[in-house]
Amino acid sequence: MTYRRGQTWRLALALLAGSALGGAAQAATPGNALVMAWNIDAISTFDPAQIGEVVTSELIQNTCDALVSFDPKDEAKVVPALAEGWDVAEDGRQITFRLRDKLVFPSGNPGSAKDLAWSMQRVVRLGLGNAATLTEYGFTKANVEQMISAPDDRTLVLKLDKPYPTSLILQAIAANRVATMQDRKTIMAHEVNGDLGNRYLATNTACIGPYRLRQWNSGEAVVLEANEKYWGGQPKLRRVIIRHVAEAGTQRLLLEKGDVDVARDLTPEDMQAIEKMPGITLARTLKPQLVYWGFNNAHPAFANEKVRLAMRYLIDYEALGKTVMAYNGVPRASFVQLGAFGALDAKEGQPFSLDLAKAKQLLAEGGYPDGFEASMIFSTLPYAAPIAQHIQANAAKVGVRLRLEQMANAQLFARHRGREFESVIAAWQTSVPDAQGNAARLILNPDNRAEAKLTQYPSWRHSFASEAANRIAAEALLERDEDRRVALYKQLQRDMMQSGPTAIMFQSVHLAGVRNTVKNWTWHGFGSYYELAYKE
Amino acid sequence: MADVAAIPVSRSGRGRAAALPGRVSTMVRLVVSIAVTLFGLMALTFFIGRLLPLDPVAAILGDNASQEAYEAMQRQLGLDQPLHIQFLRYVYDIVRLDFGTALMTGKPVLEDIRRVFPATIELATVGIVIGTGLGIPLGVLAAAYRDTAIDYFVRIFGLLGYSMPNFWLGLMGLVLFYATLGWVEGPGRIDTAYQWDIEPVTDLLLLDTAMAGQWDIFWNAFGHIILPASILGFGAMAYISRMTRSFMLEQLAQEYVIAARVKGLSWGRTVWVHAFRNVAVQVVTVVALAYAFLLEGAVLTETVFAWPGFGRYLTNALLGGDMNAVVGCTLVVGIIFVGLNLLSDLLYRIFDPRTR
Amino acid sequence: MPGATSLGAWLRAPVPNSPFQARMQAFWLGWRRLRGNPPALAGAVMLLLLIAIALFAPLIATHDIYAQDLSSRLQPPSAAHWLGTDDLGRDIYSRLVFGARITLYIAFLAALIAAPLGLVIGATAGYLGGWTDTVLMRLVDIFLSFPSLILALAFVAALGPGIENAIIAISLAAWPPIARLARAETLTVRKSDYIAAVRLQGASRMRIIVHHVMPMCIPSVVVRITLNMAAIILTAAGLGFLGLGAQPPSPEWGAMLSTGRQFVMTSWWIAAIPGTAILLTSLAFNLFGDGLRDVLDPRHG
Repeated sequence: MTYRRGQTWRLALALLAGSALGGAAQAATPGNALVMAWNIDAISTFDPAQIGEVVTSELIQNTCDALVSFDPKDEAKVVPALAEGWDVAEDGRQITFRLRDKLVFPSGNPGSAKDLAWSMQRVVRLGLGNAATLTEYGFTKANVEQMISAPDDRTLVLKLDKPYPTSLILQAIAANRVATMQDRKTIMAHEVNGDLGNRYLATNTACIGPYRLRQWNSGEAVVLEANEKYWGGQPKLRRVIIRHVAEAGTQRLLLEKGDVDVARDLTPEDMQAIEKMPGITLARTLKPQLVYWGFNNAHPAFANEKVRLAMRYLIDYEALGKTVMAYNGVPRASFVQLGAFGALDAKEGQPFSLDLAKAKQLLAEGGYPDGFEASMIFSTLPYAAPIAQHIQANAAKVGVRLRLEQMANAQLFARHRGREFESVIAAWQTSVPDAQGNAARLILNPDNRAEAKLTQYPSWRHSFASEAANRIAAEALLERDEDRRVALYKQLQRDMMQSGPTAIMFQSVHLAGVRNTVKNWTWHGFGSYYELAYKE
Repeated sequence: MADVAAIPVSRSGRGRAAALPGRVSTMVRLVVSIAVTLFGLMALTFFIGRLLPLDPVAAILGDNASQEAYEAMQRQLGLDQPLHIQFLRYVYDIVRLDFGTALMTGKPVLEDIRRVFPATIELATVGIVIGTGLGIPLGVLAAAYRDTAIDYFVRIFGLLGYSMPNFWLGLMGLVLFYATLGWVEGPGRIDTAYQWDIEPVTDLLLLDTAMAGQWDIFWNAFGHIILPASILGFGAMAYISRMTRSFMLEQLAQEYVIAARVKGLSWGRTVWVHAFRNVAVQVVTVVALAYAFLLEGAVLTETVFAWPGFGRYLTNALLGGDMNAVVGCTLVVGIIFVGLNLLSDLLYRIFDPRTR
Repeated sequence: MPGATSLGAWLRAPVPNSPFQARMQAFWLGWRRLRGNPPALAGAVMLLLLIAIALFAPLIATHDIYAQDLSSRLQPPSAAHWLGTDDLGRDIYSRLVFGARITLYIAFLAALIAAPLGLVIGATAGYLGGWTDTVLMRLVDIFLSFPSLILALAFVAALGPGIENAIIAISLAAWPPIARLARAETLTVRKSDYIAAVRLQGASRMRIIVHHVMPMCIPSVVVRITLNMAAIILTAAGLGFLGLGAQPPSPEWGAMLSTGRQFVMTSWWIAAIPGTAILLTSLAFNLFGDGLRDVLDPRHG
């Protein structure tokens, strides 16, 4: 019997081998295209008024120029893009942008400041996800036509309700996807039921950038093609092909075999292996994203700041940083990401270490000497389950019994927004390299009442409201003296590491395996610049 | 009518011929019963859809949307209506073949399904060819040489096919045949380099490239499909060989077989020509059902092989919280299953001498 | 109770003297048939072994299954860790041993829900006939219109992930074939003389179904559910694989496999080991179920 079975296997193997002989052509990517493997499940639309997740943000950044851009070499600087230059009014409440000449959309329509003003107004009028980017700075449906205007084809005027720091406005608005120039004519030709082209832009781009969207097959691939009419010259790689590959292991294989040039979602183990491999380089940059363990302050135990502080001593920042997060995060306990204006340095921004005795003592001080019970929800992201289990094991040692519950991102999302959780492992990404970005969302909570439903504020989701913290955040925002502004943010960070609503754990790292055939892969926390890459 | 219990297989019974109660005498009753089943399908999928703890509104609007925008979208989706109104609306939409828009893709669910289905069809077809090509001869041999080493081998091999977690086999297969040995191509349907050179006619890559004479691409696609299809085919082979064996045993116990032997016909001829001919129809119905089961197997296999087909679309929808797509897919699978069951039932009724 | 020497004779007596003896004789006969069926015997042995592993897990395991050691993660099999360690440095061998409990728990609980449910619905439909039959069987048809994995996926997505929900989802997908089988069996006995006799004695329908019809269906239902357990285990593993089954840090095999998938290219054993365990368990149920059918259901050899 075993003999026969062996024979059958040999036969099967021979058949399989035969097939491989047929497909002998060795894989290599086209010389004028950049081929990336990336999990692009999250793409649901290309409408700049709506997109929020990482993949589309990067794609829009490569297809739609904004008024200004982050310097590819230094994320803290802004450089001209659609706007050649800008002037700021004496009182800091008006910025006038001068646009480039001869801007043309891929459709052939000329692009003017009027299109840009319309595009920005559109974001507020639609009220989708990214409207908050503008409403946060005082733009409303009622005033947006006065506050954003185009007196002529090459001038765009931005009026502000308060004298915000100009650098912040440039980063938060002018460099953001909400300030991209959309092809009004094309879009409005496809308007359905007054949706301002939202449905059309779900599967199309109509704006000015180095590339344009040629094709998107959900769960399969995205193809970008060089925009022939681009003002900034032609990119060397004419096509960018992004293949949807969900599994990290598969991505690694494709990269090793040369089927793709860049792999975006590798696990630490893959990274480790790839690091030693000839022909492949690891590209690495810090992301403005924080991974945190968030506590619902409505839970009696978590309402107590001593308890919240105790929880921070249950996290072995160092060990996790060296293993599970080795390649995808650096330990960080401050709510301001490294690299941002006003951030505490790496050392001061992460003072915690695993200390069960300290945790036990803090629990006793907080009135829970014997611990308590709580649930912890987390998503299917690869690092979430190990971190959750790590914390659970440590917590058990001080009597804190955590029930783990893993769920799909979308579901986690709904539970988090609805305050239907006790603790959560989640991540938050800001769009500005300024402490204000996270202070305004993770700490500041304008209205903690349930009926306020400020679901876009993680602080609200965590039922966290601190008068003192709100005051400092508000003061720092409008402080015109830079040193003083930095000092305020630093104070807030130190306070929040002790009493904040969440235990910030890691700042994410962007990592990619890049084949050496691709030169000049350029990226940082606020963008990847495909047009700068080339092949030899 | 064949007793369900006569089908000695774990997965069967559900898929078997006894789909309709009693003897259906008129077409009317058949049509009514199909309509009722379809209505039931809709009720069940609607129920599942409403139960899903996924928030379609948040999924559309993103993490940053205000409550005002949230409620507006809720109204737009009709989620503020009472349940029975929502159900009627759901039925009305489906009857008009409107399955709603998939949040993942921004396109109508039905259009998405139409787009991803050819990949699954191609995979399942190659799988069933492998499964049938191996399963039938093995089943016949096992029956002809009952209780010999061949029989045991076929039965154990078949049982392995039943017991195998196919997603795991796929994973291990990739490690061995692609990563280590390099005998087959990797995940996906085709190398990226070829992706834009194909003129889609049927969307079945093997067929399209063969018709266009693009043999290098054909072999590339073949290298991609062979491993997942073999793994799917293994399961189908298990089912088909087992059923064939059991049908054949029944035939070989008949008197005409003995008569044929007495007349001096060789065993091989008796088995293949006489006995097998009599079970051919039954085998065809089994193959039809095995084909349907491949759809199920494809869900996890496609996930492992990054195969851009229906199964992966469904898993993505599930994990991504795309309610419309989940419900749409479930409904489509249900309809296909009803159809295939009906087909196999009809085949059975038309050809089986005992029900004639 | 007869002595040991006469036990054989008692079991082989041509005419049993008591219902107990008759039952024991039937068991004896079954055992003998099973003994003559090597694959079934192999299946039975594997299952007993599995049950023993599950029962004595604390004695067999070498490590605390929750104890993490980040400094020795992803180790290959060695003397210290017989089957290596996982991504949190936990001992895979010990987790595998405790995972046997979960697998058996899922399989038996799902079977215990699905079998009686299917039996009651099938027997009721078959015995009562008419509208009850039509309605119940239509319901069965609707459930049967979905492949069980897809139905379980949809249910578990609706109910939320977790081992209990996975069991419910699997049971919901597993009862209809049992119901159909029980109905078919019922149809063959409902017209029989002894049922008629019981009815004439004035037994209620309820009583007839529960006491006289259902027992007749039990053998084939047991066979079917044993065979189904293999499918149940695979479905549960599939759910675990997609992260919708047992939740961490549970050492459920499907979930272990799912973790291993991330490391399959570097540490293949993390996925290979639980996968093999799933395969062997499912194989054992299939082998044993096959043998059981030969024993309990001699009509369909």
